[in-house]
Amino acid sequence: MKQHVMGIDFGSTTAKTVILDLKGRMVASRVSHMGAVSGDGVKDSVAGALEDAGLTQADIGRTVSTGYGRRMLDIADKNFTEITCHARGAVSMVPDARLVIDIGGQDSKVISVDSNGLVAQFAMNDRCAAGTGKFLEALARAMEVQLDDMGDIALEATQTLKISSMCATFAETEVISLLAEGQTKPDVLGAVHAAIAARTLGLVGRVGKKGPVVMTGGVARNPAAVHHIEKALGMPLILPETPQIAGALGAALIALDDYRAEHKLAISEADDDAMDRQMAEDKACIPGCKGVPGSMVVEPALPAKGKLGRLLGAIQNNL
Amino acid sequence: MDSQQILGIFAAAANDPLGYARAWKDRTGRPVIGSFPMNFPGELAHAAGTLPMILQESPDPITVGHGLLFPFYCGYTRSMVDQAARGDFDVLDAIMFGDHCVQLLGAADAIRVQLTQTRVIFFQLISSMCDPWTQGRSEESFAALRAELEDLLGAPVPDAALHDSIRLFNRNRVLIRKLYDMRKTGKAPLRAAEMQHVVKSSMIMDKAEHTALLEQLVAFHEQAAPQAQPGMRLHLSGHFCQAPKPEILSMIEDCGAIIVGDDLYHGFRYISTDVPEIGDPIAGLARWYLDRNTGVPCPTRVQNNVDWDAYLLDAIAEERADGMIVLMAKFCEPHMYYYPEVKEAFEARGVPHLLIETEHESMALEGLKTRVETFVEIIRRRAAAA
Repeated sequence: MKQHVMGIDFGSTTAKTVILDLKGRMVASRVSHMGAVSGDGVKDSVAGALEDAGLTQADIGRTVSTGYGRRMLDIADKNFTEITCHARGAVSMVPDARLVIDIGGQDSKVISVDSNGLVAQFAMNDRCAAGTGKFLEALARAMEVQLDDMGDIALEATQTLKISSMCATFAETEVISLLAEGQTKPDVLGAVHAAIAARTLGLVGRVGKKGPVVMTGGVARNPAAVHHIEKALGMPLILPETPQIAGALGAALIALDDYRAEHKLAISEADDDAMDRQMAEDKACIPGCKGVPGSMVVEPALPAKGKLGRLLGAIQNNL
Repeated sequence: MDSQQILGIFAAAANDPLGYARAWKDRTGRPVIGSFPMNFPGELAHAAGTLPMILQESPDPITVGHGLLFPFYCGYTRSMVDQAARGDFDVLDAIMFGDHCVQLLGAADAIRVQLTQTRVIFFQLISSMCDPWTQGRSEESFAALRAELEDLLGAPVPDAALHDSIRLFNRNRVLIRKLYDMRKTGKAPLRAAEMQHVVKSSMIMDKAEHTALLEQLVAFHEQAAPQAQPGMRLHLSGHFCQAPKPEILSMIEDCGAIIVGDDLYHGFRYISTDVPEIGDPIAGLARWYLDRNTGVPCPTRVQNNVDWDAYLLDAIAEERADGMIVLMAKFCEPHMYYYPEVKEAFEARGVPHLLIETEHESMALEGLKTRVETFVEIIRRRAAAA
């Protein structure tokens, strides 16, 4: 029996890989930019994570892929959508989360989670890339600022402007017009982030506003996006330390569920119970959260003896 | 002929309805009458010796039709007007318009202006289904339609011929319903797109030819052993006028679902109800019109003792479906108005459902696939955790 499982998030902009041991502890994670040939980015991400963990692919017992390229990975034993995996990953990072906002490279989604950590409802952008990382990328180019600097610059805004179009191309035209009128870059960027927040609030409205809210995906690293979404929601966002890997972590946890259930008989009951307890403890924050309002942190209840194992087994048998 | 060959004939007619009509007209020298959905009695036109065909949405992009109908009309009506403006309906000797919704009325007007040489027959059916006068008013509508046909063709439509057509159409419906039943049990494991071709071609092809092929297809499956059908059992609902794009149906199945039932117009809705075969045939057609709304309720009709949402919940229980996917054609007002009731009923009962809004124009299939896959994963994971 092998001792590790892997989750791979084959995204549009980046590839993320997470390796867990059989107790659900993260052994390695790697985020790689996709570049022009997306397969290379995934290979780099997987190879990097394996290298960091001191493992080879042969040491991995189960691999689950997610993201838009999830079906293209030969090394994956199973694949699940990014909605299922982000929900699983986000809930493991923040066990009390009831709403997950994930804004990635080319899609944004809001996932409502029930008290069992299962997806209740979801909404995602289905017509265009408005309000996604690609939207920000296009506008960063138009404004000649670095993508990573956009958020900090936007927070320096001193007046409220409005971007009315959510189409990336039309918004670019608006941005250029505003700059031509003499508006400052911080003010225009503030408007860009407010537009993303409005779009996100629209998705929240479709699944129902509730909290605590955790934000994942690359855009969660953008402080202006977080600020404007919090303002639009009227609620704080809980930010995992590494929001980009939530999908890969969720995929790895599903791989773990699957692998452990399959090899349940190979694990002694004592070990199984120990793993259950460890999993529950680690779920309090994998790989660690920051900015979690104290009032929202609730110690996760330890599952009854073997209960988690039975639940995982039941899930695996129905996958 | 084997089942794949028969399905191939059905698919060919479904994919090129007007091409089939032209070939039929060349072969027989008889008139072709096109009609809008949903309650046009093809039996009447068939008894008059014509080919009745339900006009189908074309997969082609809207072109010159853009100038004739606003873009906020549904894909079916815009496509109808576009086909008329392009001259595609030149094969039709007459068109029958109904008044099921405001958009169909608008399209009828736009087409009437375009096709000045084509006979246009407009017939109205009472939408209030449980008034004391509903049967009588419906009989009047069908009698007027018969008179219009007789005027168009210059010959009477005898009762005996109408009875023959009613029997033929009923037989066709019975056979398709048999396929539906065998599909539920796995004896006829037809893909959703194949099932759509069966029904859609029935709206287009010569009914005797179609029925003869159906007899063979049903016999083939009746002899077959039931096959196990792994996958999430789903019911498909919606699309009152146009056929869902086959690629959407295939995409849903590729996500790990099997379609065990539907209430689509290009599905069970079209063949749910038979016409009484005895008595006055016009009264029988009126009875059929009334019974159709209890067979599969329609949001364009008003009937106090019939609820579409209750019907759907019953259908799902009977089909042992795990959930439902609602296919809503963009700008379909009757569906948009009724959907909140369906949503509320399904949520109250805890039956999972997913709403997909479809468009005439191309859709982002990959994003849709992610949504359907997630829907299937949610049902599986919830069932496992229960």
